[in-house]
This record gives sequence, structure tokens and C-alpha cells, in this order.
Amino acid sequence: MAQLAVATPAVGRLRSSNARSRRIVDRIATAALWIASSLVVLLLLLFIGYEFVRGASAISWHFLTGSPTAGEAGGGIGPLIFNSFYILILTLLFTVPISVCAGMFLQEYAVGGRFKAIVQFSAESLATVPSIVMGLFGLLVFVSAFHWHFTAIGGALTLTLLNLPAMMRVTQEALAGVPATYREASMGLGATKWQTVLKVILPSAIGPLTTGVVLVSGRIFGETAALIYTAGASVSYGRSAYDLNPFHTAETLAVGLYQVHREALVPDVDRIANGSALVLLVMVLVFNVIARVVGRQLTVRFTGKA
Amino acid sequence: MSRSARLAAIALCSVLVPSMAFADTSISAAGSTALQPLVQAAADEYQQKNSDVKISVTGGGSRTGLSLVSSKAVDLGDSDILAPAGSDGLVDHKVAVIGFSVVVNPASGITGLTKKQVQDIFTLKVTNWKDVGGKDQQITVINRPASSGTRAVFMKTLMGDITTLPPTLTEDATGTVVQKVAQTAGAVSYASFSGTHNATGVTEVAIDGAAATEANVMIGKYPFWSYEHIYTNGPPSKDVDKFISFLQDDTAVFKKTGYIQIKDMKVTETNR
Amino acid sequence: MVAVRANKAHRDERIALVVLMSCSGVFVIAIALILGFLAFNGTRLFWGDHYSPIAFLFGTNWDGFGGSYGAAPFILGSLVATGMAILIGGPLGVAIGVFFSELAPKRVASAFKPAIEVLVGIPSVVYGWLGLTLLVPAIATVFHLPDGDGLLAAGIVLSIMILPTVISLSEDALKVVPNSMREGSAALGATRWETITKVLIPSASSGIAVAVILGIARAIGETLAVQLVLGNAAIIPTSLLQPASALTSEIVMDMGDAPDGSGFKHALFAMAFLLLLISMGLIILIRFALRRRT
Repeated sequence: MAQLAVATPAVGRLRSSNARSRRIVDRIATAALWIASSLVVLLLLLFIGYEFVRGASAISWHFLTGSPTAGEAGGGIGPLIFNSFYILILTLLFTVPISVCAGMFLQEYAVGGRFKAIVQFSAESLATVPSIVMGLFGLLVFVSAFHWHFTAIGGALTLTLLNLPAMMRVTQEALAGVPATYREASMGLGATKWQTVLKVILPSAIGPLTTGVVLVSGRIFGETAALIYTAGASVSYGRSAYDLNPFHTAETLAVGLYQVHREALVPDVDRIANGSALVLLVMVLVFNVIARVVGRQLTVRFTGKA
Repeated sequence: MSRSARLAAIALCSVLVPSMAFADTSISAAGSTALQPLVQAAADEYQQKNSDVKISVTGGGSRTGLSLVSSKAVDLGDSDILAPAGSDGLVDHKVAVIGFSVVVNPASGITGLTKKQVQDIFTLKVTNWKDVGGKDQQITVINRPASSGTRAVFMKTLMGDITTLPPTLTEDATGTVVQKVAQTAGAVSYASFSGTHNATGVTEVAIDGAAATEANVMIGKYPFWSYEHIYTNGPPSKDVDKFISFLQDDTAVFKKTGYIQIKDMKVTETNR
Repeated sequence: MVAVRANKAHRDERIALVVLMSCSGVFVIAIALILGFLAFNGTRLFWGDHYSPIAFLFGTNWDGFGGSYGAAPFILGSLVATGMAILIGGPLGVAIGVFFSELAPKRVASAFKPAIEVLVGIPSVVYGWLGLTLLVPAIATVFHLPDGDGLLAAGIVLSIMILPTVISLSEDALKVVPNSMREGSAALGATRWETITKVLIPSASSGIAVAVILGIARAIGETLAVQLVLGNAAIIPTSLLQPASALTSEIVMDMGDAPDGSGFKHALFAMAFLLLLISMGLIILIRFALRRRT
């Protein structure tokens, strides 16, 4: 309400010429906002739509499942899509447990105190690390110091560090959304804090939690800078390209898009790049839709709320 | 089934199934983007014939390849240049000869240049194509990064005593460079035959009257060429040696990708 | 029986606490390690190779293999590109957020919200690819240049990248402002524009500031999109239409090439450390300043 008190003298008397000029300003500003917003949003959507159209011609069953070629046209991105999912799953395996536990701790247990402040500050600082710098950290630790060289697991661990803060924030928000009455009722029935958190609060929050996890997964799927120097950027050929060994190198789709342009060793670079871009865009859409749908379903299932 | 039997079965499957998907041998190669097409084509064929081997090939430039193989991050370091003195432990396997061409965008109107003209263009002494016999078009120089082996060969064979070049637009891989020259009016750069021979929208320039062909390289008339080296850290393992020999003898792959087999060369050089 | 179960519950409680605290501790250890490793490797150029920090920060001659590591071109490039992104994308994003929150009809706003959220998630490599194939040729045509690479292209691409984030978060921040504010302001005779500028935006200022901060964070750290459209010429840019370079793009281009243990590699790590300090410092400073204001 303090803002209103500050604004009042400026708002002032609604009389005579002062009022008219203020109304004109209002109308101009409104028009400007309408024009600017429509233009920008339209441009953004056109930008993306154009890429859809450009990439559509590249899409075929062979493109999506076939292997890249060594210098000839007609290669596919099958192994790259496989690697993207593989690294995503590895990353989630590490990120979700750690972040959810940390989020639970900060939200439910630590009421104040220095440890909580330190953890919160660390998480905020971790979130400011640029992805390329995180990739270099991964290079120093996993590739060099551990002597693993380029590995899928090195990439996954680097991505874990990159996404821990986001995942923790998702957990905290999901837990905060659970009404206090749930906690009180549970404790009133004699449950310990841990039993309350595990059996009452977590299930109620599972909807928003899942939505958040899937959305962050979408971002992990598209990550590039942190993976180039940890999981590597090299293509393998033939059947052995579909490789489940986490200690081998793994080029993902996003990294592959960058590399295919950078190396330009096949004659149909544009076709492959546009096709890859389209697949990435579609995956972002899919992750978004799944996040919402699954989140809503889980909320209904576990809390009975619509 | 009893509970423990079920658990044992699950544990066994979760170990066996993924291990069946693991390739038994893994060979990694990195380095020169000029040599990359040859290594990739050979790797593709080799893996069709030996499905238990996984070969991964990447670029990054000759110096990257040398640095990675020195630190044992990869098995094979592909390079357009000799490893610097003092790289103990690196074993050189000369696998091919490759020619490089200076490429220009057709808007320049140029089909041939002398070495001196090339030097003047890249040191930015000449800025318009009309000063070297072409059309009135501004010259856009595209260089390779300092780590590029192709650039090192360029400096050694065409640049004479000049050791540094002024900074200009830089693109780092063979393919990207050729694309950029094709898209930019009046652009000039240099790349390996494997990237330039079949490229559309660029003109390969003759140097001192010699056209950029394999035949001219073989008889030594065309100066811009180098040996392609694959370095291993120490003597190669059995699997790696098998692959290198396969690559060296695969005439079909050489023909397909435009490289020259060493046995076809009529001249030899010791410092490339 | 009850006593046994209660003891087990208490033991579980203690184990749970240990597990949760350790997971929280991971964050602290992680950031400490990252700072440590990067500080060690990032300053090696100075205490190991005895290169002058002044020459590094202000020198303009960059020759990786030749031993000259003047990083000023990259620092300048990063600052200009990020500055452009904030100056264009910041106000524009907030304005559009205002539009969706206050001016657009409810149905239009709710139809566009998911679209904006999808735009937030689009990978930077796709933006870079679009910038390279659509924006750079467009700039070349409009300005009659052979090549459209440069800081203008980078600035525009970065603005486009941060727009959805700024729009979405500003809109959220404004939505939280209670309707009583809007009604009260109108009752006092304010026009809608005056309500927005003098009442709502100040009220939502912390949320809007967070939106802009996240935009800045993304712009400073953006690597690929910038590398694809900047042209990568290690010179001090004299015009927005000349090829230039930035800290992030130089690192990603040359990190693989620099031999281990060389001055070149140490210089690249020094650039990475500098980038970390700028990014971290800027954001934490702004957050701190905001917290003090409220």
C-alpha cells in the first residue's frame, strides 16, 4: 500500500488539460505495447515455425534411426538420439536423489541456522556457473584427473552439477505447495518428521515435482557446452555406435548439431542440421507436454485434487 | 520362484544384458579435419567387417590430435604436420598424402595466383581482387585457427618467410571454411582436396601455373601438399595396428575420398 | 511392540537426517571444488608462467601459440554482446510481460503462456543455428556487407534467447500483485498506464529484477549461439558489424587445441576463471543489493 501512497500525489487531480494529456499518454503507451508485443511474439513463433518447415524435409524413418555416414550424403542421427537419452537418464539418476533430499532438508528440516544459509548460498552460487565453465571443470576432474578421458558418465556428472540447483528449486517449490495442515495432521497422529515427509508430504507434492523434473530434463536434453569437453564430440559408426558402456565417449544430438556444421564433412550438412534442429524442437515440445499432463495426472492420483 | 531366486535372476540379467551391448574394443581417433574423411571412411568399412570394434573419430585440428594422443586421451592422433621435436613416445605412421587448395568465391573472377600474390592477400597488403587481375570485389580473408595443421602446411609451403598473419575472420574446420567461402562474395581461404574438390560454389586456384590436381602433386609441380600422419603413443596395440594397416592399403577408400597413396608419389619431402 | 516400532522410527529419523544433510552438503562441496579447481588452474598463468595479469586483462594481442595472451578483445566482446542483450531484451521482455499480464485479453494471454514456456526451453544450439542461417545472411544483405558475422548478430541472438525467460518471469511477478492495488489506483483516478508504471512495476520490482538477472546470467554464459555468429576474429571490435570474439566462444573453440601444460591452455583457463568471477560476482552483487532494498 506504500506504493499507492507514493503514487497518489503524482496521480493527482483529474481535471482539465492535465487529465487529457495523461489519457493520451495512456492510449499511446497501450498501443505501443500492443504493437511491440504482437510483433515480437509473432517473430519468435515465425522463427521457430520456419525451422520446423526447413527441417521437415529431412525427417524420415531412416534419418531418425540410421547412423551417420563417413563423407556421403544420406546419414542419420539414430545413435545421437540414443546418446542424448542415455546421458539424460544417467544425469537424472544422480541429480534427482541428491536434489530432492537436499530440497527436503532445506524445506522441512532446517528452520533457520547457519547450515541452511550456507547451503542456500552454495546452491545460488552454483546456479551462476556458466555451462562452459562447468564443462571445463568436468574436463579437469573427470577427463584429466580421473583419467577417464571422454566418457558418457563424465558428461552426466558434469550435467548433474549444472542442474542440481534447478532441481532443488523445483523440489522446494513442490514441497512448499503442500498445505501446512497435512504436516500438522500427520504429526498429530504421532508420526515422526521423516515418516511425515516420506509418506505424506512427498506424495502430495509428486505432481509439481514430476512436472519440474521433466521440464529440467528438457533442458538437459539440449545441453551442449558442458558436454563437448566431457562426453566428447566424435561420431562412431555401425552397430557398435549404440553403446551402453558409460565409460565410452557419447556424442549427443545437440552436440552433433554443432559438430556437423563445424566439421562439414558430409555434403548434406544443412539437411542434417535442420533435421536435428527440428528433432530438438519437437523434443522440447514433447517434454513440455508430458510435464504438464503427467504432473496433473499424478496430482489427481495422489491427492484427489483435480 | 522364491524371492531370493528372483532377485538373483534380476541381478544376473542386469549384468549380462548391458555387457552384451558393450563393444569389446574401442579405438578413438582425433585431430586433423583434413585427414578426417579418410579415417572416417576407413573406420566405417572396418566396423562393417569387424562388428566387435567401436571406432570413434573426431576433428579438432592437427595440434589437438597431437596433444590428445600425447596425453593418451585418444589412441590415434591425426596430423597434417610432423609432431614437434621432443614429443617422445609418439610413433609416426605416414598413411597418405593430401593436397590442399586455395579456394575463392567465384565473385572474385580469379582462377590462378602466384605465390607472391597469395602472400600479399593473406597479409592484407592487397584488399581488392582487381589488384591481382580479378573483378572489382573486396577481398574477405578467412583464415584457419593457430592450432590448425592445414594452416601450418599453408605457412610452410606458400608463405615463405612470413611467420605471422594479421587476425581476420577465422573458421576452424575444413568443411566450415569451404561453406563460408561459397557463401561470402569475394572470400578466400584454403582447405584440403577432400573438402574442396567436390565442393560447389568455390573455385580452386592454380598456384604458379599449376592446377590443384592429384597428378600435379604426385610429380611435385604443385607445392601445397603434405603427408598425413597418424601418431600413436608408443608402438600400436594389435587392434590399432590392424586398423592402421587396413587404412593404408584400402585403395578403394583412397579413390573415393581423393587422397593419394604414398606409393604413388614421385617426389618425397623430409620435413612434412 | 509399540516401543520397538517407536525405536525403529527414531533410528530411521536419524539416518534420514544424516542422508539429507549429506545431500545438502554436496552443494557446498561442489561449489567449493569448482571455485578451487578453476582458481588454481585459472591463475597458473600468473604464478606458474609468470605472465603479467595487467598484460592479460588489457593486452590486445592474442597469439595462442606465440605466447602473447592479451585477452582484452574477448573481454570487450563478451561485455558488449551481453550489454546489448540486456539493453534490448530486458526492457522489451518486461514490457511484453506487462502486456500479457495487464493488457491482453485473458484468453489470448493464457493461450500464449505455454508457447512462451516452450520458447524458454529451446536449446541454445538451435538459436545459434537459426542465427547463423537466417540472421547473419540478413544482416549481410541489409548492410551490404560480404559477411554478417559480428557483435550485432550476437547481440540480437542473445536478446532473442533471453526474451522468453524475462517475459515469463515478469508476467509471473506482476500476476502476484494483488488486485486491490489495481482497483485502489483506479479509484484514485490513475490511467492504466500510470497504474502500471507507478504502482504495479514498483510493487513487482523484486520479481522483475529476478527475471532480468536470470536473463543476464544466460547471456553472459552463452557459448554456442555466440560462437556460431560472431566470426571469431581476435581483434578489438571497432564496429558492431565486424567479426569479433568473446570469452565463451574463444574457450570453446580453442580448449581442445591447446596442449596440456602450455601457456596457451593456462591462458584459456584464466579466461574461464575470469568468466566465472564476472558471472558469479555480478549476479550475487545484484541479489545482495536487492535484498538490502526490500
